[in-house]
Amino acid sequence: MNYLLYYHLVALFLMVVGLAGIIWRRTLIGLLICVELLLNGAGLAIMASAKLTPASDFLGQAGTLLVMGLAAAEATILLALILVVFKRFGKVEVDKINILRG
Amino acid sequence: MDKIGLGVFLAHVLIIVAGGLVTVFARSLVRALTGLIATLFGVAGLYFLMAAPFIGVMQVLIYVGAVSILIFFAIAFTKSSHLGEEARPRKQSQWFFLLSVPGLVIFSLGYLLIKFIPQGFLQPQETQVKDLGGFFLGPYMLPFELISLVLLVAMMGAVILGFEKKIKRED
Repeated sequence: MNYLLYYHLVALFLMVVGLAGIIWRRTLIGLLICVELLLNGAGLAIMASAKLTPASDFLGQAGTLLVMGLAAAEATILLALILVVFKRFGKVEVDKINILRG
Repeated sequence: MDKIGLGVFLAHVLIIVAGGLVTVFARSLVRALTGLIATLFGVAGLYFLMAAPFIGVMQVLIYVGAVSILIFFAIAFTKSSHLGEEARPRKQSQWFFLLSVPGLVIFSLGYLLIKFIPQGFLQPQETQVKDLGGFFLGPYMLPFELISLVLLVAMMGAVILGFEKKIKRED
């Protein structure tokens, strides 16, 4: 029973699902949701690596908290950017936003 | 005791897997967001299971409480419906990349994981939240202040972007 491996496999699943979503989704909001999945997998991997090995416990918790803070900041900025894109183009599809001089 | 732990772990993994698949493949973005929330709850449960209750509570507060509400607002402002772009059939290139890139990542990283990962503890030690606070205000003061600065700048940037006037397209 190697729980470290299992936690890392769950984190790998989150990362793969996030990547698949970035390929599969068409709108900017779908991409935002999938980036959140990726970041969550990163946090889980950091936490498992710190908690289940002799590494420093506090470092892992601090790293996970920093990842969460960065994800919150990223979601805020992306929401504002999506709103600006929607105001200018009237749509949020990745394929159709192709005019540089909006 | 070990069996109970394994059962709880598997239940959370089930929630995460189902939520993740719904997040990626649901047609409606609101359903996708619901799947994301389920996944976030599952990951929070894994944090609790790893004897890090503070991080689990923070996960629920920050992700489920704040980030998903932000995404809900984004969906509402851009009027995304279940009949919109996400429901149309996909291009062939998307099918190709969907089957190739994640498969490559799974096989390469999964192989490295299974081959080289060391044996982990079965029972992680619980740490006091007080000590974590001392850790943040002691040797790791700088990253702590930097993350608050990043959050402040992100907030200011979002407000400034939100004030932008509508620009007439000339074409």
